[in-house]
Amino acid sequence: MPEQAMQPELSAALDRLWRQHLPQIEERVSLLEAAGKALTGERLADHQRETAKAAAHKLAGVLGTFGLMKGTILAREAEMLCAGDADPATAQQLTAIAAELRAVIAGRT
Amino acid sequence: MPHRILIIDDEDDIREVAALSLETVAGWEVAMASSGAQGLARAVEYHPDAILLDVMMPGMDGPSTFRELRKNPATAKIPVLLLTAKVQSNDQRRFADLGVEAVLFKPFDPLTLSTQIAGVLGWS
Repeated sequence: MPEQAMQPELSAALDRLWRQHLPQIEERVSLLEAAGKALTGERLADHQRETAKAAAHKLAGVLGTFGLMKGTILAREAEMLCAGDADPATAQQLTAIAAELRAVIAGRT
Repeated sequence: MPHRILIIDDEDDIREVAALSLETVAGWEVAMASSGAQGLARAVEYHPDAILLDVMMPGMDGPSTFRELRKNPATAKIPVLLLTAKVQSNDQRRFADLGVEAVLFKPFDPLTLSTQIAGVLGWS
């Protein structure tokens, strides 16, 4: 099938998959938000940090695949933050990134 | 005859987008597995022309799955392409050194994924 003819078909199917997997994608952002909150109160457990890091890693892989490259860049930043120092500045950055991710995700029509 | 690809990835969304891409754009046949262990069994029964293998999976990860595939004579010669969201160059070198055909990166473009795979494997 020529690329131009196939593109609408692929695009429509991708939109269906996006809607289907959106709850899972949003849940990963929730994990980042929870990690940001826990960091603020300096009570981020190791397992929660690892869970948040894995969620960020998965978001980095999937968001760009659905055309949201800004989301991939933000998620990579979040992944690095989850691997770094646990301090108030990191908590603030992580919370801000999670909010930006929410906006990027909400903006995909 | 269409090429047959096995996708092994624990992430449902990535697995399904990759399958959609390869089926819709290239017209290939796709089988899927959601873990390394399931992928090993599926590779034996499906005997694909190539395997697209995620790196980070719980339990048996991509590199471990690849080594198991190579140990089994039934799957030892199936080309394997690793799929990873890891962007650091030391990770990339480590994966390439495993002996896989190629390392592909997430995010990927669903429109060109099949072209990437075909290019690596010399499929016209």
